[in-house]
Amino acid sequence: MITLSIDTKTIQVAPDTNVLKAALDNGIHIPHLCYHPELSISGGCRLCLVEVEGQDQPVLSCGLTAAEGMVIQTQSDQLKELRRGVLDLFISDHPLDCVVCDKAGSCTLQEYAYEYGLKDTSYEPTVSSTLFQDDNPFFLRDHQYCILCGRCVRVCDEIVGVHAIDFANRGFETNIATPYDGPMIDSTCVFCGNCVQVCPTAALMPVSRLQRGREWDLDRTLSVCGYCGVGCQIEYATKDDAIIYAQAPEHGAANGSFLCTKGRYGWDFATSPERLKQPMLRRDVAHELGLTEEPWALPETSPLDIRKPNVEQYFVPVDWDTALEFVSSRLSDITESHGPDSIMGLASARCTNEDNYLFQKFMRAVIGTNNIDHCARL
Amino acid sequence: MTNSVREIRDADCIFITGSNTAEAHPVISYEVVRAVKKGAHLIIIDPRRIPLVDHATLFLQPHPGTDIYVFLAMMHVIIREGWMDETFIAERTEDYDAFAAILEGYTPERAALASGVPEEKIIQAARWYALGERAHGESIYEEAHGHSTILYAMGITQRSNGTDNVLTLANLSMLCGQIGKPSTGVNPLRGQANVQGACDVGGLVNVLPGYQQVTDDKLREETAKTWEVEQLPCDVGLTIVESTHAALAGEVHAIYVMGENPMMSDPNSNHVEEAFRKLDLLIVQDIFPSETAYLAHVLLPAASSLEKDGTFTNTERRVQRIRKVISPPGEALPDWSIIADIAARVTQKLDRKPGPEAWKYDSASSIFDELTLVTPIYSGMSYDRLQPSGLQWPCPSETHPGTPILHLDTFARGQGKFHAVEARDPAELTDEEYPLTLSTGRVLYHYHSGTMTRRSAPLHWREPRGYAEINRQDAEAIGLKDGFAVIIHSRRGTIRTKTKISEGVPPGTVFLAFHWREAPANRLTQDHTLDPIAKIPEYKISAIRLENPRAR
Repeated sequence: MITLSIDTKTIQVAPDTNVLKAALDNGIHIPHLCYHPELSISGGCRLCLVEVEGQDQPVLSCGLTAAEGMVIQTQSDQLKELRRGVLDLFISDHPLDCVVCDKAGSCTLQEYAYEYGLKDTSYEPTVSSTLFQDDNPFFLRDHQYCILCGRCVRVCDEIVGVHAIDFANRGFETNIATPYDGPMIDSTCVFCGNCVQVCPTAALMPVSRLQRGREWDLDRTLSVCGYCGVGCQIEYATKDDAIIYAQAPEHGAANGSFLCTKGRYGWDFATSPERLKQPMLRRDVAHELGLTEEPWALPETSPLDIRKPNVEQYFVPVDWDTALEFVSSRLSDITESHGPDSIMGLASARCTNEDNYLFQKFMRAVIGTNNIDHCARL
Repeated sequence: MTNSVREIRDADCIFITGSNTAEAHPVISYEVVRAVKKGAHLIIIDPRRIPLVDHATLFLQPHPGTDIYVFLAMMHVIIREGWMDETFIAERTEDYDAFAAILEGYTPERAALASGVPEEKIIQAARWYALGERAHGESIYEEAHGHSTILYAMGITQRSNGTDNVLTLANLSMLCGQIGKPSTGVNPLRGQANVQGACDVGGLVNVLPGYQQVTDDKLREETAKTWEVEQLPCDVGLTIVESTHAALAGEVHAIYVMGENPMMSDPNSNHVEEAFRKLDLLIVQDIFPSETAYLAHVLLPAASSLEKDGTFTNTERRVQRIRKVISPPGEALPDWSIIADIAARVTQKLDRKPGPEAWKYDSASSIFDELTLVTPIYSGMSYDRLQPSGLQWPCPSETHPGTPILHLDTFARGQGKFHAVEARDPAELTDEEYPLTLSTGRVLYHYHSGTMTRRSAPLHWREPRGYAEINRQDAEAIGLKDGFAVIIHSRRGTIRTKTKISEGVPPGTVFLAFHWREAPANRLTQDHTLDPIAKIPEYKISAIRLENPRAR
């Protein structure tokens, strides 16, 4: 381990740790925009300057490897002035419309501008790129907010491994683009949205989030994705009982701070109008029970061949008590007449441990059969 | 998984087979990409050129169903060249000699003939895996050899010799001592959010919660005692596919389906439908009216995983809390509360002990507390302890920190057992009438039978309709181009879809995901020959024929 001092605090870190990470991991905040703990070092934003004892000039802490006995200062009048200067340049090329911006409240640039007391730029404001690319329903690319920190480019290449985007053009004309700046769908993009997650400003925003409320008005619930078995933790931002957007928490146990396209964007099935909302009995069963007047027979057409499935053609809604009484008396009758092993239970890999536990307990302890399986093999 | 997801990034050599990781488990593919960027070797053995091959340092493309020849030949080479871990074999394993004797016949020459994979690639894979070699950079493990990990999924298990394939990979890891250490192991990537948990808590025909055999009188009695019932059934039950056969034979009269869509996901859909139509009672408890629902007598509306509390257990055995994010629609209820209500009523009607009051649960956490009493691998867990990162089983006591890596000092059964496994052919070989091999699986933007993802607007936008991936050579042979309609026949049925000409599938192989109700892949798959032990259907290999509808 390496021992160094940051703001008079003695800190121990593993060899090859950079000073910015050493500080952040120990609760000392140094402003930074291009640095991300999971990505390679870029050093482009020039905000994480610190003073190192024995060196004349301030140094970028993200690119400085912690060394034994190093003495670091993260706060001083000189550093404050330098950082303020850097931020002044950033906001000279960034709309200051925080009052209507959906990112307000979780925008890192806004946070630093507040911290360093910058109300406006001292330069002539010029927005270098006003490209507005809404070519997909996953995320929006609004380049006027882009500060070219390059986090999106690095996450796409270094973590996701698809390298769909990179820096294009030069100097003030630089922007982040797919090859030839074509639509996202024509690139290698897999719409995982990890670029959106690491974007410090409103340059990359989930489409579902736009104009759906201020950040501070959203509730957040930590849960686990319901798709594959990786078990990614997801933080769902909600308002008025509706999901506004989903993102990875900072430290998911299996997923760190990343997700895939299904986890991040595939939650809207929950509010589909096709959801089953009440118990239903098939029309022939309902007729048998005297609940409907018209006789009915199950059509020969395979469910796989029904062009436009319409659940109401086949079923009638009933209350829970009717449905559960039907289910339990039929199950009891069949258990008694054909024996417990004439009943099969199919549990589910999409249901919780609690659901599955009760299901198998019901089949084993009440019905009396081990005919209990689920989709593990499918 | 024997190991944990976040160890993969530090592996020196990663060996992936039968897993289209970047599409089916994207977040695990991020770990693989990170490892490769740091200099790890990535060996992929797969009949398809899956997206992660872009990052592979070695790609072996065996003909479908012949991968086991490659695995056996790799071990043949490892022994021949002396790359095995003799200390590990001597101290930690048993039955090595019989296993090694079988390998003598599985030379790389023979594997090359059977699989089409060049010998030198087999030898290269054997060396890199056995010795944990890197492409560049330094290993974080300061040992004589680097650490190699095996990742696999349904590509090797959904086969009539699926169990043999898994045993072979286990043999390979033990042979090289690449197990029981960080960034090593044999790691099945499980495909559904709680498939691990559903198995753990007894959603299987042969085991009570915690993998306690139903045939073991003592274990059964202990569970019966906790549940306050007189006795529990002692015969192994019917698996999904067996129950379909039993329904057709008139032996099964009722099926209660919770959160599953067998009409789309089980092999030989026409057969499944015939069986379901014969039932006296089909109960479907689900969040949507699935294809299976249209054959049910009754539909019970359930809350989705976004709408209830509970726990999921992930592929690395980590039990994590899920929380109610939004309210369920209409009158939909959490599955557990529906089951508890039905159980109480049936208990009453059948006059079962200990009576309906035993089925009164007030919350998911009260069920979890009971579950830990009968599930020894979960017994140290509670909702409080699962904050914030969950716990990996086994977690046998309230102070146990969980188990990120299995088999550290000893195997679960004591010594690691080498199984002498021989290569076997798939159940359905191609012939003149059905000359191509169909493999089913998933695409990135959809999940399983598509019930959820096909109702998600952004995912639907990106991948709206089904298609069959066909090699240019096979397509052109019958005059098909990209985006053309194609009819696919197997001995079980016929479907119609559109073509996607893809060099990702080799000539002779067609890939079709099973998400598409308009082109249900499982009308084509076979349900007659299952793996004899795991009873898993051979979804990955069916003999098929393509037809160009214009040529009729």
